[in-house]
Amino acid sequence: MLDMFFKPSSVAIVGATPKEGKVGRVILENFKNKFKGYVYPVNPHYQEILGLKAYSSLQEIPGSVDLVVIATPAKTVPQVLEDAGVKGVKGAIIISGGFRETGTVEGAMLEEEVKKISSRHGIRVIGPNCIGVIDNWSGVDTFFLPEDKMKRPPRGYISVVSQSGAFASALLDWMAYHGYGLSKAISFGNKVDVDEIELLEYLADDPSTNLVFVYIEGVKENRGRDFMETARKVSARKPVVVYKAGKTKRGGAAAASHTAALAGDYALYRGVFKQSRVLEATSFDEIMDLAKVLSTQPLMKGRRVYIVTDAGGVGVMLTDALELSGLEVPETPADLRERLRGILPPHCIVGNPIDLTGDTDDERFIRVLNEILPRSDVDAVVVVALPQIPGLKGSLFDYLVEAKKYGKPILVVLIGGELAEKYWRFLEEKGIPVFESPERLAKALWALYTYSQIRIHGGTS
Amino acid sequence: MSSSDIVKSALSEGRTKLLEHEALKLMELYGIKVADYGFAVTPAEAGLISEKIGYPVVVKVVSPDISHKTDVGGVILGLKSRDEVVQGCEKIVKNVSERQPGARVTGFLVQKMMPQGLEVIIGATRDQVFGPVVMFGLGGIFVEVLRDVTFRVAPVSLQDALEMLGEIKASKILDGYRSLPPVDKKAIASMIVSLSKLMEENPYISSVDLNPVIAYSSGAVVVDARVIIGKSGVVNR
Repeated sequence: MLDMFFKPSSVAIVGATPKEGKVGRVILENFKNKFKGYVYPVNPHYQEILGLKAYSSLQEIPGSVDLVVIATPAKTVPQVLEDAGVKGVKGAIIISGGFRETGTVEGAMLEEEVKKISSRHGIRVIGPNCIGVIDNWSGVDTFFLPEDKMKRPPRGYISVVSQSGAFASALLDWMAYHGYGLSKAISFGNKVDVDEIELLEYLADDPSTNLVFVYIEGVKENRGRDFMETARKVSARKPVVVYKAGKTKRGGAAAASHTAALAGDYALYRGVFKQSRVLEATSFDEIMDLAKVLSTQPLMKGRRVYIVTDAGGVGVMLTDALELSGLEVPETPADLRERLRGILPPHCIVGNPIDLTGDTDDERFIRVLNEILPRSDVDAVVVVALPQIPGLKGSLFDYLVEAKKYGKPILVVLIGGELAEKYWRFLEEKGIPVFESPERLAKALWALYTYSQIRIHGGTS
Repeated sequence: MSSSDIVKSALSEGRTKLLEHEALKLMELYGIKVADYGFAVTPAEAGLISEKIGYPVVVKVVSPDISHKTDVGGVILGLKSRDEVVQGCEKIVKNVSERQPGARVTGFLVQKMMPQGLEVIIGATRDQVFGPVVMFGLGGIFVEVLRDVTFRVAPVSLQDALEMLGEIKASKILDGYRSLPPVDKKAIASMIVSLSKLMEENPYISSVDLNPVIAYSSGAVVVDARVIIGKSGVVNR
């Protein structure tokens, strides 16, 4: 139902311009470089922009137009929408600011006009006052931040829905740097029409999205229950990670009762997230920690985690972190002990963590992993492979990619410098999450376990 | 009297808050256990009621004009006989006339003094975004200072409510400590479920504080109930 924003076959950019540094130029460049459908720059002052024929109005465009991107001053937007209505345009992304967010009567009235005209013509609207949409699969990109300032992440399966455009841009740039794949990003600004609830619904059905990250400051009045219902439905199909900003704002507001005073946004939202079966990221770090584990790993059937390590100390840190988060690091059962004894030198420790010690090589790791990965009493495996030891050459990491066939979560701890980074980039590119911090790994794995319980039992853990 | 009768009659008198005996009656209508109580118009009536309830009792002033009963000397604890109750009521009238002259005294609430247990708070409010919501926390510093509370959007199931109990940071206290035995979590959870139902069925109730609820190893009892009322959709935020 929102396909016009993500898979249009033709796009008109009103306010396109050849002038360097202008919003209308960046957006046109984005479409020109990546979008496969028809692109029509609209600007009455030019015959041609960046080598494309320019049109003085939407009416002049010969073919049909699915989507119009508007980047002209606020006061001109109502007329553009009228033209779009006559042209039969299905969707509009209004980048322009100068509406309700200004706090002026004039701005609020303009926004009302936008609402009226678009609903009269049946035009769906994202914005105004937004940076709009990136779809890495179709090439739609209305983010007006030039690529040399804000890199675009590689094509992938994480979709981002954000109330804040600036945060979305920063997050995407960061994802690009770290190599995390993006499917779609939507920043909806003043949300006169399309809001986070409808976007969640759309992304639930989107085959190229396998995890949705939502940044919210607050849900609209009276839309709370719709949000919960939709989030619950989406969660039953793919993980939804939410970050709530504005945790302290109304905490101490004076109110008629104790309970009302305590219902400061955040305490209430925490309950809401639990009931909606969405996963809450409580810090910036957790956003991507959760996203990278949940978007790449299979469900975790139980809470039993086995650790295979070349560093005893990190194994202990990890055990503490996992147990504290609620996961189990069980004693190695007798039969497995015996088998491990048979394949390991006597100085290795066959308990859990299974400590291969600093003289291990790739093969020793692989032999042990081949024993434990197929077992039904193993729910997830964490490999601690500190690359500084002499025996580790790297074939372990190729093996880990192959070991995905066992259908179990496999996470890796790598701590170090350049060499660690090389392996880390290799693994993450292949969909194996890597962490430096045992504590952060534990939190993310716990989130995967929680989500798995939701999927397996349809309820809480 | 049904729950909506109680609320409507209070609204028709232009009140924004139920009187305490009305609030307790409302809780009883939803199967929420409250400390034994009776409402008396005169001190003599209060004496009679106390005989039925059994001692010790507490007497509280009932007045639409007083919001902090203790501050005006409107609460007397630990009364052990009919005479003490009658005298207590007379004392309350005197205290109120001195400290808040002009405040109407509708009558007296005579209430059974409950033995010590673990004090918890159960509450509900109507949120602009999410509608009726319920809250749970431990009494005293846990809620006042640490704001260690948890919320759910109504309706809640017994399982949701039990999850709330496990979610507060101080949840271990519910399992008992020092001389206190573990409390009856199911009794508390059922109370949360009932309150959630009450909020869903009574749009004119804008918020409720059950503070404290005293929890025991078997059962839990509401000692004080505060119910704020208003036209539907009025929100306390």
